[in-house]
Amino acid sequence: MTNELMGAKLANILLAEDNEDDVVLMRHGFELAKLAVGLHHVENGHECMNFLRKTGKYADAPTPDIVLLDLNMPIMSGREVLAELVADEKLNHIPVVILTTSAEDQDILSMYKLRCSSYIVKPVDFDQFLRVIRGIGDYWLTIVVLPRRP
Amino acid sequence: MNACDPDIFAQYSVLADSLPVAVVFVSSDGRIAMANQQAENLFRYERGELPGKAIEVLVPARFAHHEKLRSKFLAHPESRPMGVGRDLYARRKDSSEFPVEIGLSKLQADGKNYVLATVVDITERKRLEERFRSTVESAPTAMVMIDRKGHIVLVNAETERMFDYRRSALLGQPVETLIPQRFSANHPAMRSGFFEKPSARAMGSARDLYARRSDGSEFPVEIGLNPVDAPDGPFVLAAIADITWRKQAENTLRSANEELERRVAERTAELAGRAEELARARDALERSNLDLQQFAYVASHDLQTPLRNIAGFAQLMQRTYQGRLDTTADDWLQRIVNGTQRMHALVRDLLAFSRVDSAARPFGAADLNTVFDDVSSWLKPAIDGAGAIVTRDTLPIVMGDANQLAQLLQNLIGNAILYRGEAAPIIHVSAQATNGHWTIAVRDNGIGIDPRHHERIFEIFQRLHTQREYPGTGIGLAVCRRVVNRHGGRIWIESAPGAGSAFLFTLPGTPE
Repeated sequence: MTNELMGAKLANILLAEDNEDDVVLMRHGFELAKLAVGLHHVENGHECMNFLRKTGKYADAPTPDIVLLDLNMPIMSGREVLAELVADEKLNHIPVVILTTSAEDQDILSMYKLRCSSYIVKPVDFDQFLRVIRGIGDYWLTIVVLPRRP
Repeated sequence: MNACDPDIFAQYSVLADSLPVAVVFVSSDGRIAMANQQAENLFRYERGELPGKAIEVLVPARFAHHEKLRSKFLAHPESRPMGVGRDLYARRKDSSEFPVEIGLSKLQADGKNYVLATVVDITERKRLEERFRSTVESAPTAMVMIDRKGHIVLVNAETERMFDYRRSALLGQPVETLIPQRFSANHPAMRSGFFEKPSARAMGSARDLYARRSDGSEFPVEIGLNPVDAPDGPFVLAAIADITWRKQAENTLRSANEELERRVAERTAELAGRAEELARARDALERSNLDLQQFAYVASHDLQTPLRNIAGFAQLMQRTYQGRLDTTADDWLQRIVNGTQRMHALVRDLLAFSRVDSAARPFGAADLNTVFDDVSSWLKPAIDGAGAIVTRDTLPIVMGDANQLAQLLQNLIGNAILYRGEAAPIIHVSAQATNGHWTIAVRDNGIGIDPRHHERIFEIFQRLHTQREYPGTGIGLAVCRRVVNRHGGRIWIESAPGAGSAFLFTLPGTPE
């Protein structure tokens, strides 16, 4: 994987997504976009919080530079994750990008009210999907200066 | 004063003349011994003319038996009123008669017996009595007068009719004859009570009173009581009205009222039942609306996710294996991608259709100029792509949901661009005020629609073209109609093949 090639300088992205197909497409998307990232995957909100808090099997997990968060997931939804994350002093510096199928006005509004960093609707067309992934890479990993924790 | 025997009566004359009543002394042979001035005036004789005449000159000729009665009195002289129970009349000098009351007493003077008669003219009293009787007689109510003992002393014609008795059968009878037996036991006591404290009043106020006819049948009455003071004692005059008709009317009214109340109660219960049904139906509708919104949400996410995955992998295959498969495989992959795109459009449009009602916003003043300008900018790629010219008049401000009105204009202008003919599309939006609302028209120079399809095109999923001719979901115009209907307007089309189309719809104006 690319993250092994790039070593410690690699950006870590945590993808919270219950749909495995989406995860596969995402990985290929990052590859096709030639973005070298450490892409970590958790399949529900509960796992996501464990990863971020380095609990259980995630004791050695890195602190991700950004979180790509799906909204509709089993056990614990993306909405709950964001609400818990922003209330957590140790975690609320991590940018969270919502990546979801929902184009509902209400979802968009409530996520921004929880101070999500961006809200992206997953495009159906793969070419557009690729553009979105490139956009994420360009913006979050190149243009933006991310916080650094001691 | 003249007298047969001046010596005897000289001593009385001054006294007799000073009396306020007429006084006549009659000797035992029936001749007038002396008459005072009042007597001679009363009988219209000259002063001193009467003494010496037979007393019968003062009695009407028809009372021929007077002589006999006179002798009888002298044989058993007791001071008493004359002719009790009968009407007495006296005769004037000119033979005219007048009613009188006469008191008789025996007098002895100089060893001879005389009769002293005092005479009172009761013409006026008789006249008043007669007036009273005729008034009572002609009264429209039954009138019954009773004496202290409760005996009937007077009834009128209406009493005979009402109680079905002859007058003669009632006079002298106890008044209880006219009262139903179940009430008559208490009546004498109450009657006595009334005589103790007589006052004009209604009898048995607030109680139902009944009277009894000769055949024993009863009828409801109203009775007014009047005490009557007369020289011959206190009486009570009862005025009795038959209120059978009124009672019947009351009963009819009461039962009509009860019937009405019963019906109102029935109808109220019915309405309450309906209201409950309506409330249940409304709850059910609200639930189904929630279900529908839930469905719309599920459709937008859970349906789209696998769709996106299919499209994603098909496109990934196209990229990865381009030229390494044969042309058939390439074609099939393309068809998969096209299918998913079309499915995606369908899901998106169905969502829009269901959201016209479920995600509606309250109405406000919506400036159609702004709405048009927004829509034009959203459609700019399509407009530029088709080389279209899209213009507008100055449009009105209407009452509505600006989001939905934008959707409406977007669909109509989008259609006008899509269904274009050979020439570049020319699309114009205009407005016309009619009777407090606006008619908005979207006209194009497109392919037009045959009038026999004018109704059908607004139905959901109804299309006139294949996907290859013109892509579409068959939902856009159904959304348009739903939006217009929600705004209380209607939408229709004026068009013919090759002659372009005009979509028109009405919207309410803003209140002044």
